[in-house]
Amino acid sequence: MHPLVVNFEADFVLQLLPVEADFTMDQVAEAAAFHSLNRRVKPQSGKTLRVRVQDADVPLGREVTVAQAGLREMETVEVYYE
Amino acid sequence: MALLNRSDWYDIARDTNWTPKYVTEDALFPPQMSDCFDIPREKWAGYDEPYKTTYREYVKVQREKDAGAYSVKAALARMKFFEGADPGWLSILKAHYGAIAVQEYAAGMAEARMARFGKASGMRNMATFGLLDETRHGQIQLYFPHEHVNKDRQFDWAHKAMHTNEWGAIAARHMFADMMNTRDAVSVAIMLTFAFETGFTNMQFLGLAADAAEAGDFTFANLISSIQTDEARHAQIGAPALKILIENGKQEEAQRKVDIAFWRSWRLFTVLTGPMMDYYTPLDKREKSFKEFMEEWIIGQFERNMLDLGLDKPWYWDIFLEELNDTHHGMHMGVWYWRPTVWWNPAAGASSAERDWLEEKYPGWNDTWGQCWDVIAANVAAGREDLLLPQTLPVICNMTNLPIVGRPGKRWKLRDYHLDYKGRRYHFGSEPDRWVFEQEPERYAGHTTLVDRFVAGLVQPPTIEGALQYMNLGQGEIGEDAHGYDWAFDYQNFRKQAV
Ligand SMILES: [Fe+2]
Ligand SMILES: [Fe+2]
Repeated sequence: MHPLVVNFEADFVLQLLPVEADFTMDQVAEAAAFHSLNRRVKPQSGKTLRVRVQDADVPLGREVTVAQAGLREMETVEVYYE
Repeated sequence: MALLNRSDWYDIARDTNWTPKYVTEDALFPPQMSDCFDIPREKWAGYDEPYKTTYREYVKVQREKDAGAYSVKAALARMKFFEGADPGWLSILKAHYGAIAVQEYAAGMAEARMARFGKASGMRNMATFGLLDETRHGQIQLYFPHEHVNKDRQFDWAHKAMHTNEWGAIAARHMFADMMNTRDAVSVAIMLTFAFETGFTNMQFLGLAADAAEAGDFTFANLISSIQTDEARHAQIGAPALKILIENGKQEEAQRKVDIAFWRSWRLFTVLTGPMMDYYTPLDKREKSFKEFMEEWIIGQFERNMLDLGLDKPWYWDIFLEELNDTHHGMHMGVWYWRPTVWWNPAAGASSAERDWLEEKYPGWNDTWGQCWDVIAANVAAGREDLLLPQTLPVICNMTNLPIVGRPGKRWKLRDYHLDYKGRRYHFGSEPDRWVFEQEPERYAGHTTLVDRFVAGLVQPPTIEGALQYMNLGQGEIGEDAHGYDWAFDYQNFRKQAV
């Protein structure tokens, strides 16, 4: 288990997200969406969810894994619509 | 024989100072228990408490206060207020008693520290009465909820909460212990009595009393305003201590401690008092919004007290003023969404009429918090209970031990104020919370939040159910929506009519 801190666009709270080191960013986004979308945030159709480290200018590649991206445990990532 | 006037003998009688011959000054008043500012004892002789009372006067007045509160309770017991009370109001009582009653005893220990280790005899005298006050507050606020325990197990948490690892209890313990129970007498005087009791107790014990009277709960209104008369007296221990610190060149250090205590108090009130005033109190009984009460009881008054003494406003004042619009809405939504983790039943407070009120008091509420409540209300209408309950934990601030919240919806603004210290990453809900940590990192670094413990594998099984067990929340105790989701159906109907 590799826990991350997720800040999901338009949600109100940071949430604990247990992922695996071999998860791709698309899988991270999907796992994060489970805890926010349709719970407190309306989905936006036709857009892609991206993942970036808090304050980074650009998102991480969609196929990049947690390990490859060098995300530490409890790294804070933002998941947002592009 | 006629009694002397108090003023004829008070100054002599209260002055119990002597010069130790058999022990050193530091053995009698160890600095870490007494005065970490290290002001010489003779300077403390200038301490002048503004409120002077004697034991005889104190006992007479306190006896009358207690007789008043208990007789109102006895007289109204027959009115069966409890049976007809709004469930949101009962949640206020449960949250209040659980968060406050046992902490009053801890406050008694803080008063005892000043009563024993204060170098000023006036401080010791006032704090002795303060110790008796806090004992009364602990006893009476355990006694009043006790009669409801046989009807509703959540009232048992008046006594139980502080002895558990429930997250709100951890947050309250961490904050109060920091301010009251782990400091020297002088720091307690300025952090507990000046920064916290002078303003914030007015919010919980007078602001809420106004709502209680509106709601017809005269027993509770009477009880908490009776308590506040004690707070108003012993809260005055701090200001004369600050005066002496400033006269002796300790202004900067005094300011820092006041700033720490004020911020920590503010943050705890965003989860305790904010939701009570703006969401749990039935709409037609609300005297003012939380923000309006804050403006009345805290902002003007605290600012004036600070400036009068020659201190400045805290450096984070602009951040604080901005937080008045947002933070407690987030704490409320967090408590509601994670409602199985609290010992009361959170009232959503998001019916169409309540939303109009929120929009009026907090312009922009519909575009932010309202966006999330829209989704929640739609899930209620669709019977999607699975989406109405959490499947993970919120991330908890390493200072407040409260969820890290921000503003959702169209004006999304949420971030983690993190800090790496000695190889560990700490997460904070605001810049001032991180700043508090940085002032004395070793003081705080060893503590783990509930989420830290969860990640470290100390909560087993590692599920929401395991977390509830870890928090000692059993059947009949875990929180549910106070009104069985009625508010959501009301809002959905309103939306259909509007379309
Ligand atoms: Fe008290
Ligand atoms: Fe007090």
